[in-house]
Amino acid sequence: MSAHAKSISLTVNGARVEASVPPRQHLGDFLRERELLTGTHLGCEHGVCGACTILIDGEPARSCITFAVACDGRSITTVEGLDDDPVATELREAFAAEHGLQCGFCTPGMLVAARDVVLRRPDADNPAIRTAMSGNLCRCTGYVGIVNAIRRVIDARNTNAG
Amino acid sequence: MGEVSTAGSGVGARVRRKEDDRLLRGRGRFVGDIALVGMKELAFVRSPVAHATITGIEIPEEHRGAVLTWADLAAGGVKPIRAVSGLPGFKVSEQPALADGKVRFVGEPVAVCVAATRAEAEDIAASVFVDYAELPVNSDMLEAVKPGAPRVHDHWPDNVFLETNVGGNIAEIAATAPVKVSRTIRTARQCMVPLEGKGVVAHWDRHVEQLVLTTSTQMPHIVRAGLSECLDLDQGLIRVVAPDVGGGFGWKGLLQPEEIVAAWIAMRLDRPVRWTEDRREHLVAAANAREHHYEITAYADARGRLLGIEADAWVDAGAYSVYPFSACLEAAQVGSILPGPYDFAHYRCRTFSVCTNKPPIVPYRGVARTGVCFAMEQMIDAVADAVGREPWQVRLENLVPPEKMPFDNVTKKHFDSGDYPESVRRAVAAIELDGWRARQKAGEVDGRLIGVGFATYCEQSAHGTAVYHGWGIPMVPGHEQAQARITPDGGLELRVGVQSHGQSMETTFAQVAHEVLGIPLEKIKLVHGDTGLTPYSTGTWGSRSMVMAGGAVATACRTLAERLRKIGAHLMQAGPEGVLLEGGSVKAGAAAVTIREIAHTWYRAPQLLPADVDRGGLEVTAGYKPGSDHGTFSYATHAVAVAVDPEIGQVEILDYVVVEDAGTMVNPMVVDGQIYGGVAQGVGTALYERMPYDAEGQPLASTFADYLIPGFTEVPHVRIIHMLTPSPYTEFGVKGIGEGGAIAPPAAICNAINDALKPLGVIVTNAPMTPEVILGAIAGQQDAGRGAA
Repeated sequence: MSAHAKSISLTVNGARVEASVPPRQHLGDFLRERELLTGTHLGCEHGVCGACTILIDGEPARSCITFAVACDGRSITTVEGLDDDPVATELREAFAAEHGLQCGFCTPGMLVAARDVVLRRPDADNPAIRTAMSGNLCRCTGYVGIVNAIRRVIDARNTNAG
Repeated sequence: MGEVSTAGSGVGARVRRKEDDRLLRGRGRFVGDIALVGMKELAFVRSPVAHATITGIEIPEEHRGAVLTWADLAAGGVKPIRAVSGLPGFKVSEQPALADGKVRFVGEPVAVCVAATRAEAEDIAASVFVDYAELPVNSDMLEAVKPGAPRVHDHWPDNVFLETNVGGNIAEIAATAPVKVSRTIRTARQCMVPLEGKGVVAHWDRHVEQLVLTTSTQMPHIVRAGLSECLDLDQGLIRVVAPDVGGGFGWKGLLQPEEIVAAWIAMRLDRPVRWTEDRREHLVAAANAREHHYEITAYADARGRLLGIEADAWVDAGAYSVYPFSACLEAAQVGSILPGPYDFAHYRCRTFSVCTNKPPIVPYRGVARTGVCFAMEQMIDAVADAVGREPWQVRLENLVPPEKMPFDNVTKKHFDSGDYPESVRRAVAAIELDGWRARQKAGEVDGRLIGVGFATYCEQSAHGTAVYHGWGIPMVPGHEQAQARITPDGGLELRVGVQSHGQSMETTFAQVAHEVLGIPLEKIKLVHGDTGLTPYSTGTWGSRSMVMAGGAVATACRTLAERLRKIGAHLMQAGPEGVLLEGGSVKAGAAAVTIREIAHTWYRAPQLLPADVDRGGLEVTAGYKPGSDHGTFSYATHAVAVAVDPEIGQVEILDYVVVEDAGTMVNPMVVDGQIYGGVAQGVGTALYERMPYDAEGQPLASTFADYLIPGFTEVPHVRIIHMLTPSPYTEFGVKGIGEGGAIAPPAAICNAINDALKPLGVIVTNAPMTPEVILGAIAGQQDAGRGAA
């Protein structure tokens, strides 16, 4: 395996990382096993459930179907890197207020996807929130608390902006 | 009974969860997040065929030593899983943790591979060559019970784990009832799909000389008991720890073969090992829930008053009996709870737990109730149709009325409290039935058909001792225990043997303790999910944790309160009369001493204590059982409006209302969350989720692209209306609520679809009600029409 390892250089949560990785290793495993960033959760490992959603150069992506070697030169942000992000901070507050999580396993991916919806879709009504979030699965909450949390953040931002 | 208020942060308050912060920052700790120095990873070789004799296992030379089979485990003294029921006639299956010469379902573990990484372990697994001599397969339970069907277990005379007969002679009612309706009803095999799969880390702790199994489980103490039996290791040499667990729903409520294998390898190699289930493994090897078949007849009078129910029910129990629930719990439960929330006199039900070449069945949220409710509630609508009344009217005709509570039903279930008919009336009002009926009459411009459906159920939660003793399975719940300990700085530690995996117990048990002691929530710490740190418990299952462990927490805290009052009174030099514990302080008149000061005295200034102080100090372990051994009965009526497209068979949920009664709610936000989540799973059961098998027993779905669980756009924004009838038998009047939401949706949605299809003269009776099923029903009717012409 190591004979085929490739050297990559990338930014993870603002820090420079140099690594030698097997070509077949996906970004989720790289982040979890090598960088010990276990906040990124693997729910299906085939790109459907969305639990492993992270940001690549600021855009949401599935880390389980992204090869680490393809991220040479990229900037990766995981849930651990969103501690001081203003939208994520508002979302964490809203998720807690609206019971938008139970077991918490899908939550990191939900937050990354929800942050993207808040930033891109300030006009979203509830059906639009549901459609925009439909790439993420939750088995505990029945989605009501998550939709309400995103609604709360969008409304608050619109009120403050207005 | 304590005082209950909805203000503050005690019982009844909608407080935020203590769990949330770590989970929202990605700082939880799930099994897959744990890495130990020198840890090896495991991957399993699993059977690709449903039934075969293993004639050879070839391990490539370079991987010898890295691949282990049952021969290795058996030589090491490992025993197969035996989950025996004491019910007469139960046939015993033995499940070796790795196949012993024969495989009985696709996905059964055959060998285990050990490597530095999971990827390398999977490479090794792919290089192992297993020679299978295939055998005839039982892929359908109704075929498997026929004479001459191939036998799953060679030494059995047939493929039935257990047959039960409940109730008595119904022939007279059958002969004389004015109304008789019959249905064939079926639910599909499902996967529970917690978003976190199963996972295990095992190592031998050299210091305490214990096997430590960190596992994604709902019941650590039961896993320890089972491991002890299979590994022939004293329970004192085993510690089972559940860290953050990413959902369970029943799938994590059993002893798993992979846990036995990981534990044994860790000891044999003297190295930590980890196994993390991947999604494909889960979908293939853990398709293990819900598959029921009913032949059911209802007898009624001309008003729709039920006179009797008669049914034969089959449950596909899969290839083995699971530990601790056994292969017969689900079907035996069908027999005892099929009558639902109704009051009628004559009943007969025969059940079969059928052994097939599929994964072993495990109780999934609601257990048999989802299937039972699906069957019974279809019959109520069928009776209503036969007598020409609204289905909700026929429900009112038959539900146990509040004046009869508490009520013992036809199978001797003891319903504790509530107003079942009122839940129907409120649901009819909330869904605004008249409006939908008017819209139905007017017709839709897009040609879709509108339907409204109802389903009512009651759910026994927090099961007592007698019923489990009656089933004679390896686990019988007794007194639930909790430990409450005042810390030297005046905080509180609670230790419980149940396990929270989304249910919010870190918050809700703190609310219970706060209600009794007044200690602020942020100073209360819940320790759970660890056999090394908590009292024995059968764990989290059957909507029991708040009733049982919550009751134990309250009981322990009351004893602590009494001790605090005595020490506090002494410190204030007050007599015992009129001494109160209030707001975190012991008070006597104008004088007060805080719990923190009392704690300081006990731990750090004991010279100030009274001579007759309770030597147990500020630490109490208390046991608890509700006042009735029959558990609590929560109940609900679900009402749903749908639009069915007769051209493409698609169903859209237009409105969904739940009117439920869980007694006193410790945290209404958490209760709502359980209901929302349960309904979402019920929508999956109703419309989407099915693990299909071909005639060879091959599962035909293995990814989320072909096993569909409901997402944001499939689940309605459910409206919940609460009724609050306290249980007379429990602390604060709480009832179990964890499973309820998942029970009624398939029935309510089915009834709504059939209401919509009524103009076409067809019905659907099988879940999931996919477009194919609905179009098939419509086409069948048209074919039948042509045939008649």
